Amino acid sequence: MSELDFFLDKSKLVGNDNQILSSTEFLTFLEKEDFEYVNVPSFNQLKDVQAGEAGIKNALVELDYAIAETGTVVIDSLNENKRLATCLAEKLFVVMPKSKLVSRLNDVADFIEERTSDMGGYVAFITGASRTADIERVLTVGVHGPKEMTVIILNDL
Amino acid sequence: MGIQDKIQEKVNDEILHNNLKGFATSYKASKINAYKGLDFEALRTRVHDIKDRDLSKVMEQFNLFKANVEKVGCKVFQANTGEDACKYIADVMKKHNTKYMVKSKSMTSEEILLNHYLEKEGLHPIETDLGEWILQLANEHPSHMVMPAIHKTRQQVAKIFADYTGEEVDPEDITGMVLIARRFLREAYFKAGVGMTGANFAVAKTGSIGLVTNEGNARLSSTVPPVHIVLVGYEKLCDDFNQALDIVRVLPKSATGQIITSYTTWIKGRVPSHKNEDGVKETHYVFLDNGRLAFLEHPKFKEALKCIRCGSCANICPAYEMVGGHVYGDRYIGSIGLILTALYQGDAAAKDILKMCIGCRACSFNCPAGIDLQSLISELKLVVGKKYGINPIKEKVFKNVVAKPEKMKSLLSLGASFQFPLTKTNKSNGEKIISKVPLLPKEMDFRKFPALSSKTFTKLFHKDGYDKFTSKRKVFFYPGCAIEYFYPEMGLAMVKLLNKSGIQVDIPKSAACCGIPAIASGNPDNARTMIFNTLDRLNDVEQYESLLVLCPTCGGAIKHEFLDFTSNDPDRYKKAVLLGDMVTPFGKFLEDNKIHFKVKGNKTVTYHTPCHDERSLNYSAEAFLSSVLGKQFTHLTDTNVCCGFGGTYSLDFSTISNGILDKKIENIVASKAEILVTDCPGCVMQINGGLMHKKVPVKVLHLSEFIDKYVEQI
Repeated sequence: MSELDFFLDKSKLVGNDNQILSSTEFLTFLEKEDFEYVNVPSFNQLKDVQAGEAGIKNALVELDYAIAETGTVVIDSLNENKRLATCLAEKLFVVMPKSKLVSRLNDVADFIEERTSDMGGYVAFITGASRTADIERVLTVGVHGPKEMTVIILNDL
Repeated sequence: MGIQDKIQEKVNDEILHNNLKGFATSYKASKINAYKGLDFEALRTRVHDIKDRDLSKVMEQFNLFKANVEKVGCKVFQANTGEDACKYIADVMKKHNTKYMVKSKSMTSEEILLNHYLEKEGLHPIETDLGEWILQLANEHPSHMVMPAIHKTRQQVAKIFADYTGEEVDPEDITGMVLIARRFLREAYFKAGVGMTGANFAVAKTGSIGLVTNEGNARLSSTVPPVHIVLVGYEKLCDDFNQALDIVRVLPKSATGQIITSYTTWIKGRVPSHKNEDGVKETHYVFLDNGRLAFLEHPKFKEALKCIRCGSCANICPAYEMVGGHVYGDRYIGSIGLILTALYQGDAAAKDILKMCIGCRACSFNCPAGIDLQSLISELKLVVGKKYGINPIKEKVFKNVVAKPEKMKSLLSLGASFQFPLTKTNKSNGEKIISKVPLLPKEMDFRKFPALSSKTFTKLFHKDGYDKFTSKRKVFFYPGCAIEYFYPEMGLAMVKLLNKSGIQVDIPKSAACCGIPAIASGNPDNARTMIFNTLDRLNDVEQYESLLVLCPTCGGAIKHEFLDFTSNDPDRYKKAVLLGDMVTPFGKFLEDNKIHFKVKGNKTVTYHTPCHDERSLNYSAEAFLSSVLGKQFTHLTDTNVCCGFGGTYSLDFSTISNGILDKKIENIVASKAEILVTDCPGCVMQINGGLMHKKVPVKVLHLSEFIDKYVEQI
């Protein structure tokens, strides 16, 4: 099993929608969809909004790393609006350049250390939608944050 | 309410029973899946090593953490007691002139009864974890560390929500209820002036905390309000992110059977926060002692501070499954709950609940931090037993009978002679049982009791001439009380078979108890006498190949407990170590010596793995039986889960014992086997007694008898 297959397998397990696109296909996708918050530096795509109590419909953010071991995306969320958007969007879209995939949890240890070395730091591991099983152990999504999560894997980056 | 009444109330709670039973089954399956392809033993050894440190190391980690966060303007408060921590948190809220604080789940805040304190101060902490919120509204405390409201049904939650919101709530619609929580708690994040979280990790290297959650409420609690308070115990400190991530690897897998939770969040101090005038979050770290620093220096109890709060010791505990965390624990629940109650709240708070541990050792083998939980419980039982005393009748029996082998022998032989008016032959299997135990309370009447054997094993051994068999190859056999007084046929079957293979069997000159009944009851002084009696009656081991046992509990005692109790007596200690190394369960001896068998007849057979075979002697006869029996062998679901016996436990906590036995019997019936084999006389007593009581026609045999009757040597 390749590392990407491993990632996809774990990501699917938590109910994520995974799409594999080329950069061109991604740009077409971007044109079609209407996002309230966008933070995709690789394509110079930025749209800022401060999500409030009412939340926002969706958010599109680029990850810093993806971890095959657990199907996790790693997002530096120090930027407050990015943090609010990823916490409060109904649907979360994450852009993943394939080259950012690492194999194990420990492969991002240095990254977290670097990003928490200054005054403040906020590194988020996200693996699926916001979920709970607190009532009769029935799995229910969207208890506080996103109800759906999509990972867009860019196979040429 | 006394503990027995509480147990009775929970056992009668059908909702709780079904929820816990369902969880016990599904948890096991998901956990196996989550750990697939990984070496659990290696992973938990790693966690144990990370957490294995003394006070000076923890203080070194703390000082680095403190320097890192103070450097950037965060506040660090060292709370000696729970009250100190509560007061500090209340003061921060008051200083910011806010009545509301959103809180993500924190067991440490449960430990110090934070909500209670804040409410008395006129402040309003709002739990944002769904389960915790439900319980806060219902004015209850968690019954499980990661699934706090596992004891509630959807209908009960609907009622709680309807009462709180004044809205109509569909009692069947769980998604609808989750959306109600989303709506109300969303509002709370934005009105709160302070957000509080616990911390699964405090990483010294950069002064960061790590939070493991599924709902995302810790993200919101730490992001939306302008102030963040972190309440954390010193034991959560670690050096660096590699250590923290090694713990992240096991925590969710052991907690809920997830590979990882939805969110794992790493936060360092002063993040941007537009609600503050200077645009930066105000952050406070409250480090809680409450006994932790003292116990980090304790040779044994420091182990409890390795806990990563996954709750798996409750998930696999057969006694917890019967009563839930409102009885099996206090502020913390499960095996670790029994221990932490004693360490943090004091032994008076723990003295009754400690007794509920049946001693099956499943938790010790499941703990992802490698804590030998059962041994700590056993140690604490001895402490509270000595301090507060034990049941006076038990104490008398231990002191005047069991600890005096000759007295025990004469009393029981008297019993064997005069029990005949009470005995009868059980119709279905022809075994001699007690027809009616006089004055037996109803709740204890869930199994048939075997009659005392008319002659002891030792007597029969000599009478039948087994002492005359000599050979160069010799083993020593320790029969233990159950074989000596109730089931001599199990011992004789083994001796016969070994003699046939040319092996001489020697036995102690007279019988003595291994001490486990006294240890399990928390009675160290009599336990010591019993252990010395036994040690002094066992021959020196040099001339023997093995020390054989048919009762793995006795075997486990010789191997483990004998060492603890002889540590101040060098001669006995040396003997105990040598004997302990030689302890071998009968099945293992047959396998090691390549004694081969073929099956006679065509009966379907299943096997119950005794707790102490697997978890004290590291053996199970399942593979052996399966290879001898081939297609006639069928696996028993949960074969290695306790049968509920636990010696006198089955009388002290008969309702729990009966509940555990019921589950075992369900699995036995589902296996469709005609014979159940096991290799512990205690398990035979419990399971056979239960099957006879329920009139289930499955024959129960000790491995030695089964081999004697149903297989032949080739």
